[in-house]
Amino acid sequence: MRKTIVAAATLAAATALSSPAFAANICFAFQDLETEFWVAGHQAITSTLEEEGHTVIERNANEDANRQLEQVRDCIAQGVDGIIIIPQDGESAVTIVKEAQENDVPIAVFNRPPSDLSRGIVVVADNATIASQAVDFLAEQALAKAGDGQTLQPLILVGDLGDPNAVGRKEGFYAAIAKHGDRFAKPIEVATEWDAATALANLEAAVTANPKIDLVFTSSDFLFPTIRSVFEPRGMWKPAGEEGHVLMGGLDGDATACQLIKDGYVDATGVQDLYFEADQALEAILKAIEEGEYAPNQVIEDPGFALTSANLGEREKDMWGCVLLADGFLNK
Amino acid sequence: MSEALGTDETLPALGPGGMPGAAGARAAGPTGPRRSPASRLARRLGDLFLSDYFVLYLTLAYVLVLIPFLPTLSNPANLSNVLSNMWPLLVVAVGQTFVLTIAGIDLSQGAVIGLASVVGGALLAVGGSGAVLENSPLWGTVLTEQGGPLAGVPWGLALGIAAMLLTGALIGFANGFSVAYLNMPPFMVTLVGLIGIGAFAIWLTQSENIRPLPDSFVELGKGDIVSVYLGPQDEPKIPRRQIYSLVTYPAVIAIAIALAAHILLSRTVFGRYVYAIGANRRAAEISGVPVRRVVIAVFTISAVCAAAGSILYSARLEAGRPTLGDGAFLLDVVGAVVIGGTSLFGGKGKILWTVFGVLFFVVLSNTLNLMNLSSFHIDMVKGAVILAAALLDVLRTRLMRERAA
Repeated sequence: MRKTIVAAATLAAATALSSPAFAANICFAFQDLETEFWVAGHQAITSTLEEEGHTVIERNANEDANRQLEQVRDCIAQGVDGIIIIPQDGESAVTIVKEAQENDVPIAVFNRPPSDLSRGIVVVADNATIASQAVDFLAEQALAKAGDGQTLQPLILVGDLGDPNAVGRKEGFYAAIAKHGDRFAKPIEVATEWDAATALANLEAAVTANPKIDLVFTSSDFLFPTIRSVFEPRGMWKPAGEEGHVLMGGLDGDATACQLIKDGYVDATGVQDLYFEADQALEAILKAIEEGEYAPNQVIEDPGFALTSANLGEREKDMWGCVLLADGFLNK
Repeated sequence: MSEALGTDETLPALGPGGMPGAAGARAAGPTGPRRSPASRLARRLGDLFLSDYFVLYLTLAYVLVLIPFLPTLSNPANLSNVLSNMWPLLVVAVGQTFVLTIAGIDLSQGAVIGLASVVGGALLAVGGSGAVLENSPLWGTVLTEQGGPLAGVPWGLALGIAAMLLTGALIGFANGFSVAYLNMPPFMVTLVGLIGIGAFAIWLTQSENIRPLPDSFVELGKGDIVSVYLGPQDEPKIPRRQIYSLVTYPAVIAIAIALAAHILLSRTVFGRYVYAIGANRRAAEISGVPVRRVVIAVFTISAVCAAAGSILYSARLEAGRPTLGDGAFLLDVVGAVVIGGTSLFGGKGKILWTVFGVLFFVVLSNTLNLMNLSSFHIDMVKGAVILAAALLDVLRTRLMRERAA
């Protein structure tokens, strides 16, 4: 995995960060590395910076917003040149960005945006559009499979709504379902708080209460194993083409999702371009440091796309999870 | 311990810290022939080990040893950071000191912090987002897009803070009542509080955070009263990162609470009752100590301190957060108090020790961060240090008994 990520990240970074004229001390403060997306993002950022000769000071807050604030303050006291942060949530991100800028340290927020986008370099996926693209595909497939006039039951696993990413994904899901409002029942919402145990408990309860589910959308791919553990004993975990297949989609684009699309269990996933986001964050923060700009404010959007069972052959290599999968990530 | 309780040194009485004082121990010790230099050195080291200031000396030694390897440790920005991290933890640890001193433990402090944060956030917020909070039972009832009911109200800030403290007081009273009158073990009562109250706080906001909070409230968590600049005087423009906080609102609040707690524990009859209950509850009852009332008061103090800590934490993070105090937070609180020297077995504790314990704990966290250790290693080291502190407690107690014998 490391080689592939380093290669991909370095290759992409090579264009943007061709020959750094300086070596910077960068503090990389992340909330945790509990999903494939964060692991890969962390690896891409640290590897690229180190390849370029910069020093990376890493801080893991272990999902504690207060600890993250204290760690960022420690970094500032250490005299770092810039900060890249994956915040615990959108609210703490606002506080931490303000703290850094008040101390004249440029800061970039990677992927999980602050509630207030007006301060800091913010690299964020267009979650609503990406989710909508994935759910559009699922809805069309579900309607094609259903009989005329049949009402379908969708279900969404909602993320922690303190995270603007989760809010955007939920909005994208509802926007896609609303296009066929007369054919879909009111969606069942399952709260996950971005926690697999919470998701498991709530999904168990939801599926027990509503055994007839036609379409499932998870706000993050890392929950597919959780969905499987609930669906499989109930005979609801079937590949496409088999009786009882539930249309299923997610968002992130991780290696597990790629494998499940190939195996037919998952039909679509919204893809965040992890390498694009990492490179944009690095390019922007290094540019700010080089130009002595202490409080750069910029929103960089990752348009993303949806990888579906229909376009898998053409776009597989554009999805970071498929790149990792090809490198044997799931076998390590 | 350098003081003895009372004037009658013939009694093996408990000192203000709840244990026989070093002076008392010296008075009770052998006064026979002159000792050898080695024996005197051992005695001196023993005195140092039993001193009130042992943890402070340990902290200073630790810092001095590390400074050559971690020069950032002594820079003013870092020292300012260490202090700013110390104040909210100190406030919570002061409350835990009372409970540990009566041989109890308050595991619900973390949950009190979360619930008080939600209460304060819901009442004081100056805005709100329906997209985030629409599933919360608070939305539309207490909170709207215009904020909470105290937003823009005269004395609203004071009322909001009072509500946070009252939340803590009610929970503490319930904990204390359960322990004192229902004879339930403190561990079980407060564990239920930790789980139940924590879940209630999360349910209230459906795990979301409440913001924005008023600037006047945020100032309580990070506002400076006195800042200093230590650079050259002819600098045309002072870089903001070179202006360091010296006296802050959290510092003033924490010191005031610690001072009040110190007086309460060491200079009042109530304080003596606390030590007496911790040393031997049955004996205290027979001696006429109003044990039940004191136990309720102690748990109430602990929870009110947690709520006061919640004010500082919520203000510094600028949000009402139901998950404040989650995770390893209790490890920090209990760890800091125990490192200070307060005994997990009760009957022994001082606010001054807790101040030093918190200082050591915060410095330890800071240095582990500066060493670029991962969070897992940091927690492992913290755990080991707490274990070492508990072991030191056993050794100190044994040494004191030997000297008193």
